[in-house]
Amino acid sequence: MTLTPVLDITDYSLTYSTAAGPIRILEDINLQIAKGEVLGLVGESGSAKSSLAYAVMRDLPGRVDVENGSIRLQGVDLTSMPEDELTRRRGQQIAMVFQNAATALDPTQSLGAHLAETLRTHRFNETQDVTARVHELFDLVGLPDPALMAQKYPHEVSGGEKQRVVLAMAVSCEPDLILFDEPTSALDATTAVGMLDLFAEMQQKIGVAGLFISHDLGVVSEVADRVAVIYGGRIVETATVEELFANPKHPYTQSLLASLPRPSDTRTKRGLRIDEGTPPPRRGAIPACNFSHRCPKHDPAICDRSRVLLMPNGAGQLACVRPDVSLNAAQINPLSISSATTEAVLEVENLTVKLGRTSLIDQMLRRDPVQVHAVNDVNLTLHRGETLSLVGESGCGKSSLARALVGLGPYEGTLRLEGREVETLDAAYRADVQIIFQNPDSSLNPRHRLSTILSRALKLYCPDIRSGERDVEIVKLLEQVRLPAHYVNRYPHQLSGGEKQRVAIARAIAAQPKVIICDEITSGLDAAVQAAIVALLKQVQQETNVALLFITHDLAILRHIAHRTAVMYLGEIVETRTVESLDQRPYHPYTEALLSSTSSPDPDTITRRVRLTGNLPVRTALLKGCCFESRCPRRIGAICHDESVPMRQAAQTHALKCHHDTADLAKIEPVWQFVQPHD
Amino acid sequence: MQATLKTLRALMRSPQGAVGTILVTLLLFISVFGPMLAPQDPESFNFGSRFSEPTSQFLFGTDWFGRDLLSRVLVGARSTVLLAILATIIGTASGALIGIFSGFVGGWIDEVIMRTIDAVMAIPGLLLALMILTVLGSSSLNAVIAIGIAFAPGMSRIARSTTLSVRELDYVSAARARGESSLWIIFAEILPNMVAPVIVEATIRVAFAIMTLATLSFLGLGAQPPSSEWGLMIAEAREHMFRSPWPILVPGVAIALVAIAFNLLGDGLRDVLNPHAQE
Repeated sequence: MTLTPVLDITDYSLTYSTAAGPIRILEDINLQIAKGEVLGLVGESGSAKSSLAYAVMRDLPGRVDVENGSIRLQGVDLTSMPEDELTRRRGQQIAMVFQNAATALDPTQSLGAHLAETLRTHRFNETQDVTARVHELFDLVGLPDPALMAQKYPHEVSGGEKQRVVLAMAVSCEPDLILFDEPTSALDATTAVGMLDLFAEMQQKIGVAGLFISHDLGVVSEVADRVAVIYGGRIVETATVEELFANPKHPYTQSLLASLPRPSDTRTKRGLRIDEGTPPPRRGAIPACNFSHRCPKHDPAICDRSRVLLMPNGAGQLACVRPDVSLNAAQINPLSISSATTEAVLEVENLTVKLGRTSLIDQMLRRDPVQVHAVNDVNLTLHRGETLSLVGESGCGKSSLARALVGLGPYEGTLRLEGREVETLDAAYRADVQIIFQNPDSSLNPRHRLSTILSRALKLYCPDIRSGERDVEIVKLLEQVRLPAHYVNRYPHQLSGGEKQRVAIARAIAAQPKVIICDEITSGLDAAVQAAIVALLKQVQQETNVALLFITHDLAILRHIAHRTAVMYLGEIVETRTVESLDQRPYHPYTEALLSSTSSPDPDTITRRVRLTGNLPVRTALLKGCCFESRCPRRIGAICHDESVPMRQAAQTHALKCHHDTADLAKIEPVWQFVQPHD
Repeated sequence: MQATLKTLRALMRSPQGAVGTILVTLLLFISVFGPMLAPQDPESFNFGSRFSEPTSQFLFGTDWFGRDLLSRVLVGARSTVLLAILATIIGTASGALIGIFSGFVGGWIDEVIMRTIDAVMAIPGLLLALMILTVLGSSSLNAVIAIGIAFAPGMSRIARSTTLSVRELDYVSAARARGESSLWIIFAEILPNMVAPVIVEATIRVAFAIMTLATLSFLGLGAQPPSSEWGLMIAEAREHMFRSPWPILVPGVAIALVAIAFNLLGDGLRDVLNPHAQE
């Protein structure tokens, strides 16, 4: 490239000083972003990818110990710029799109005022017509009815719309560079793909340079031209998107890609790589190569000779001195899912959960209380040794269902455990049906040691184990979840995210339950750790024949654990089918949209795009017709709104709830096309 | 134990925390060993040197009976500081228990308890203490109980609001889902996670307790003469204010110093125990 890059970071390194001594954040960063180019920056949690964005914004949260190198924006160094000059350039030349639009917007200002403020500060004086420009910008980011939108307040619009406003603010002053810090991570899959399309479209229209930070390679592959992989504060590889996915060179990139699920996995029987390595040391001596402590091809004679720096390699760059040595893929187990039985363990019939309590005034006035129908007339059956995945987006009622099943909330309907009807959720039922929560940081009491956490479950469920023998049992439990025995005296905050989730699993299996409900338990974890947790759950299932209800919003991972899947939308189950049949039509229109929104770094598949528009209906009243009608791309007409939907049996193990005939749905184009036919 | 040491080390790193800790430690030392440190008998009269200014014999001067003010302040520290701490403990413990219970149970029971607390809080603390003392009769111990009761409503509000946020966390849900008893959930799951703000509040309240205790003694409802409780010392010295300022100044400064010391310690603790401030 002959032009000067928009952003040019040279030999940048950053060290913070903390109470325990200096801590290295970023090292030897060299990055260039050309005009009109989007660079994706990918790394696991704690890889300092956001710190790089903050360094470019010159908004460093820590106390800087040492800062070297330069960050040049259009040839001007930002690191030595005085604060008032920086203030002028922020917004004008660099803009940022944050992860959480809900907190990036001021709840007391209207959406239009947010933009007008930015415009007045940088572009316009009082006399010019700011309003017209605001409407123009709202139109640009695809917000319907800009004039009305400008008057609304943040709480009146949806998450996707908020993120669009943040994007409009970012582009309002036509900056040279936009930093995207995980802009879609907080959004639902179907909303997120819409945003990604919009980013790509904006990119073409205004040709701004972008730095797109994400932990999700799939998301990055949708928008970026080039990808930089960051590990432990160092960039280990840069390449074009196609090149990186087809032919990753750095062992870390290879391992990262190998642990990501792909849509084609069911066909190819591809397993996930498990690599729960520790992060590189941030204090003390600087290792020659950051990845050496977990690199399978680390050779001290070659790798530790001198500092391994990012060097040109083909069209991209690579920080590895042994790229010619290939990694043996033998450690990866092929995808296998043990067969389940057909003996029902837990049956759920006509389960309804209403949220919101009745107030005294409502009772006195004989008014119907305002209640949200979180779960609506749901029927489910779980078989022994089976994993049923429950898929749906946030707010679809999947967690309400989980909480009702373990007695954390009132419900209406019938539960049957091993054929017997459950009248009260007594101690015996609670022992048989366990739950694991999404976030182990909040599900493990930070003031309890692991020994206390695990011994409580033993004490409650296995009263015949005497207190002296409990310690032995605890060690056995830790062994079962592959944790060392000396962890018993640790506190949760001394463990990594994956280890904490293992403790939560150990607590759940202590009761030798018949059913474990896993509520989004891998959502907060990095891909490699997620793969490890899934493998552990499968192993536990094989050993104990427990039934799992695996709740998730991620369609990709369920291919690696589940036998059957149930798709939930607005409190209703719209489709149940086997995971094996997931590649075959017919689909419920919502399932079709969900499947097509899974962004996947799979060079072998082409995903057809289905994009949802429209708003969710109010959930305080029961709907007459189909719950998906307002957003459905395959809406037939008034029948969808007015008439109750029949459950259609497409196959013996496949039911879906739609006014369309299953034969018609089977004729639609497939969601995926697999480029290379597999044998 | 390790956690306590760590907290202490972090506390010593901030200026307020360090000053507060040193002053409070010194104060507790004086409260315990005051009588031994006192150079003279606090109740012996020296008629030859009434209203003496600070001299080498009487470092802080003397009062109207010629009693040594330094000795009186040193000896009085015990009844003032220890009683104030006792009052705070009573107020904190009862308030925290009411708050946790009310917040955990929720619903109409919570409403009833909290509205009652609101009603009690509407009465100024001193007035409430005076009312309680009127019923119980005046003595140091009754003053302590009265202050404890007067402090409880404020503490219970803080404890309740912390409980409400802790109650929503998944580890409490997990405990409920596995069928733990309410007692275990309150004392083992919730209590350890809400002590930090309560301790901070309690530390600051010690200073208030000292001042309220002094006020009660000043009004003649707490300690009785010839005790050298600091508030009482000021009350008695009031008549002689125009003959010598020292009998008022010395206990007055002592009360102010103690209040400042506990406030500094409270501020320091607030920063240290705040989980967001930790690395």
